Amino acid sequence: MGVLIIAEHHNGQLAGATRNTVSAGVQLGEVSVLVAGEGCRGVADEVAALEGVTRVLLCDAGAYAEGLAEPLADLIVAIAKDHTHLLAPATTFGKNLMPRVAALLDVAQLSEVIEVVDADTFKRPIYAGNAIATVRSRDTRKVLTVRATAFEAAVAGSGTAPVEVVEAIADPGLSRFVSRALTESDRPELTAARVVISGGRGVGSKENFTLVEQLADKLNGAVGASRAAVDAGFVPNDYQVGQTGKIVAPELYVAVGISGAIQHLAGMKDSKVIVAINKDEDAPIFEVADYGLVADLFEVMPILIASLE
Amino acid sequence: MPIYHAPVRDMLFAYYELNPGDSLRSLPGFEELDRETLGSILEEAGRFFSERLLPLNRGGDEQGCQWSEGRVTTPEGFKEAYRDFIEAGWNSIAFDPEYGGQGLPKSLNVLVDEMLCACNLSFSLYPGLTHGAWTALEEDADPDLKARFFPKMAEGIWSGSMCLTEPHCGSDLGLLRTRAEPQQDGSYRISGTKIFITAGEHDLTENIVHLVLARLPDAPTGIKGISLFVVPKILPSAEGELGEPNWIGCGSIEHKMGIKASATCVLNFDGATGWLVGEPHKGMRTMFKMMNTERLATGIQGLGIAEAAYQNAVAYAQERLQGRSPGAGDKPAEPLIVHPDVRRMLLTMRALTQGCRALAVWVAQQLDVATYASDPLQRQQAGELVALLTPVVKAFFTDTGFEVANLGVQVFGGHGYIREQGMEQLVRDARIGQIYEGTNGIQAMDLVGRKLPMAQGRLIERFLVPLREFLKAQQDERAMDEFTGPLSAAATMLEQAAETLLGRGAANPLETGAGAVDFLQLFGLTALAFQWARMAQIGLNQREGDEALFYAAKVNTARFFMRRILPRSEAHFRAINAGGDCMMDFDDRAW
Amino acid sequence: MKVLVCVKRVVDANVKISVKADGSGVERANLKMAMNPFDEIAVEEAVRLQESGKADETLVVSLGDKGCQETLRTALAMGIDRAILVESDTELQPLAVAKMLAAVVRREQPDLVILGKQAIDDDNNQTGQMLAALLGWGQGTFASQVTLSKNQLEVIREIDGGLETLALPLPAVVTADLRLNEPRYVKLPNIMKAKKKRLDVTCPDALGVDIQPRLEILKVEEPPVRSGGVKVADVAELVDKLRNEARVI
Repeated sequence: MGVLIIAEHHNGQLAGATRNTVSAGVQLGEVSVLVAGEGCRGVADEVAALEGVTRVLLCDAGAYAEGLAEPLADLIVAIAKDHTHLLAPATTFGKNLMPRVAALLDVAQLSEVIEVVDADTFKRPIYAGNAIATVRSRDTRKVLTVRATAFEAAVAGSGTAPVEVVEAIADPGLSRFVSRALTESDRPELTAARVVISGGRGVGSKENFTLVEQLADKLNGAVGASRAAVDAGFVPNDYQVGQTGKIVAPELYVAVGISGAIQHLAGMKDSKVIVAINKDEDAPIFEVADYGLVADLFEVMPILIASLE
Repeated sequence: MPIYHAPVRDMLFAYYELNPGDSLRSLPGFEELDRETLGSILEEAGRFFSERLLPLNRGGDEQGCQWSEGRVTTPEGFKEAYRDFIEAGWNSIAFDPEYGGQGLPKSLNVLVDEMLCACNLSFSLYPGLTHGAWTALEEDADPDLKARFFPKMAEGIWSGSMCLTEPHCGSDLGLLRTRAEPQQDGSYRISGTKIFITAGEHDLTENIVHLVLARLPDAPTGIKGISLFVVPKILPSAEGELGEPNWIGCGSIEHKMGIKASATCVLNFDGATGWLVGEPHKGMRTMFKMMNTERLATGIQGLGIAEAAYQNAVAYAQERLQGRSPGAGDKPAEPLIVHPDVRRMLLTMRALTQGCRALAVWVAQQLDVATYASDPLQRQQAGELVALLTPVVKAFFTDTGFEVANLGVQVFGGHGYIREQGMEQLVRDARIGQIYEGTNGIQAMDLVGRKLPMAQGRLIERFLVPLREFLKAQQDERAMDEFTGPLSAAATMLEQAAETLLGRGAANPLETGAGAVDFLQLFGLTALAFQWARMAQIGLNQREGDEALFYAAKVNTARFFMRRILPRSEAHFRAINAGGDCMMDFDDRAW
Repeated sequence: MKVLVCVKRVVDANVKISVKADGSGVERANLKMAMNPFDEIAVEEAVRLQESGKADETLVVSLGDKGCQETLRTALAMGIDRAILVESDTELQPLAVAKMLAAVVRREQPDLVILGKQAIDDDNNQTGQMLAALLGWGQGTFASQVTLSKNQLEVIREIDGGLETLALPLPAVVTADLRLNEPRYVKLPNIMKAKKKRLDVTCPDALGVDIQPRLEILKVEEPPVRSGGVKVADVAELVDKLRNEARVI
């Protein structure tokens, strides 16, 4: 018995959130990790080296190549009986997959877990993070998705967990992968970035957003935006940080010209260090910022960018 | 950006709990209007207005309407919003279904109007004028005129305007000069200049149906020689489609204190073709019927603005950290709402706004009864109450709208005075309500000089009888004493003041004018006290359950009204009693 | 083709919620309720499928207390043909909801089920996936575009970092993401028409589903408050603090 973690990986690369999920799993018992995919031996080896992983299950088959929920869920159910807890990161991959697994096992699922209280009890945000619920599961088997920003990433140690091969099972053939179009950007992905620079309505226009982008590039950060900036058409929708956008918790979050509406704060308040630049000294963003600079962003942003040369 | 949440719960309270909304369902065509349905209609209307029209309010104010070569362009976004507005059916709520309207109660229209005005007063005036024109035509126009104009007006693709004022005549329409010459084909040629014409020219609709006051060649002088004509911007063909442009030019638009996104036009009629509405020389009669609904609608504008100001002030006072409550020592800054004076302002805003809403719903439901009830006596009595309260609603509500908007600025402090928060716009937009559709001074004269003496002084009884019945029914309720006591005192003052004014007015007409505005204020305060006492009575009986907080707030607001606002009535009463000598005796050479 | 939509009644998105002092949940008395915004998108999609002639019948289901009738009427006013309420005053969790929906689906035999991707109260994001599992159907979650051709559905999904396209044989389950469409405003005449549309009420027992909650909420609390830090005077001080105090750059 123990914990089974479903690894997320793409194109031979382990998705970072899996490592945070391992850290959550370690708090619940011995951790096995399922790496299912096609040609993913390398990922299995990488997982085997993570601290805290005691066993890797590798299932290499075409049906799992694109991470489709239907065949994966069937596979997980087939091996679930050996485990008390089934965990996946609360990414679009995990959120798509784990409820299906839970329903097939006839158990409840817990979404976006941010704290392990004990083997049956977990904390998770509700109402877009405006409240935290402590929830106890009455099921014998627990299926969880884990919010990566709430757990440290398991480090790549000297661990050499054994890699066991698992047989694939029949593909139910309920869906077919057609294509994937990932946003091309030299910048890191918003939810995974160590640094995020976000602009708000105060930035004023699409053109002025280059100020935000320049700062992001200086710090190797991702670019985000408030809903107001998205609604005003300065940037595309997938830049949006907040209740209806992405939840981020980078080491450094810089809010530029963002007033700090509740809906925005819900998406970034768990960042380690928050910097706010706004000309309105009463803007609510300053109530959560570690460092606040009351100034006209058009004056100080060029200086800030230049001083990071 | 200003917020607005449709006050649906309070509206349903006023419509079904305070007033007998369910009894309206016995009126023909209103059977479907149960509480749940009204609730959904109000939710959806509030949602559309707050999401589509509220965001245009500030830009509309900044940009204003633009005039160029006789054409008026409305601010950015108005055209699209208007198209969505009419498509969603909000234009034709109470219009006759025979012509494509939805035949719903006028009282529902009043509630929807309140939300519309709260979100964007300038915008509301475009459909508002269609309503005015519709009402005038509905009263007295021939069926073929109705058939020609109503379907497009119900659809909203043709709007309306009311052309009364001329450069030399505003409040005194007896002076008007615009001429109408009869033509062979039964139509008329209209010539003259009209000013201050709201929605007289704009780009929201393909046609504008102007209702124009003018004199026939054989007209008697003064107010008894005025006829009403319908004069469209573009002449409709026999099939009701667009034909030739009419001879109407828009000379310019006004630059105003507020409602800047509403086009206030100078219109030149140069032999424009029009048709007579109703009988010759009887135009003012039709106009007065129309004006009564317009006056109620203007009062509702004040109410809408008040609600908008109140909601934003409360939100700001809850969030803005500034100072500490008295005696709190060195604690961190607390929200504004801890300060007694801020609470005084907020409760004043709340008590006036919700009190006006309660009164508005009463009057609006009586308007439905007056229009649609099958029993003639019922219709007459309801009509008398509406006639009596119309000037009160118009003047007291618009004064309230201005007072509450002004308090809103005060709660915001410096942030209320700058433009960004939208609070100062509410003050500027509210201001016109006290002036147009008959200034509030004229409303007071209408109340004292026309409505009080009308029908042997019977009208005021339509108000006082239910008030006395309520007091009698509550006389043994000790918990109600704190509400019925002040109400009873106010009602007594109102009765005495009415007698005083009628008595003195008979001897010296100047006395009527000297006391009129104070009397109207005294009336408004008493009417609100009546509403608040009734609301308190309902609240006291609903102390348990999910909504205990809502009902307790009614009781507490009623208490605030009785203790902190109603005392104003005593000042007005004393001013009335003081008479007009001290004004009229003032030496004219000394001004 | 028949499309079934599921809607949940939730606290209106514009309402600021507060946690009850005794930690038993969030304050819900007196709050304005509304259709879950993602479900509104699901309803809109179904109505558009019907308007474009691709669907010939649309049906909406909600589960919860009597108040859900109001939410169902809104869906009917948006253009859905018929409604079913599974009335229950007890707390319903996603697995129980999915089981009841599966029972309704077996009875109604739709070709496509559309749900919002998550409800904005519990933020679970589970019901659609669970329903697909229970029915043994394919799932197109977090959809930003749905294209229907003969017996097949092409779904563009919002995934981390971009978009993914899947093909699903019908019947299938789709969950709606924010960009799938922009829901329409309800028209006044349609509110009146919706009153006359059929709304059937049933209950969990009639569907033969055990709705016993599997998860027990022990406590609901406010999230930890983040206290504001310091104001810096200028860029130089900011850079210094970030370098030497916070050590993040």
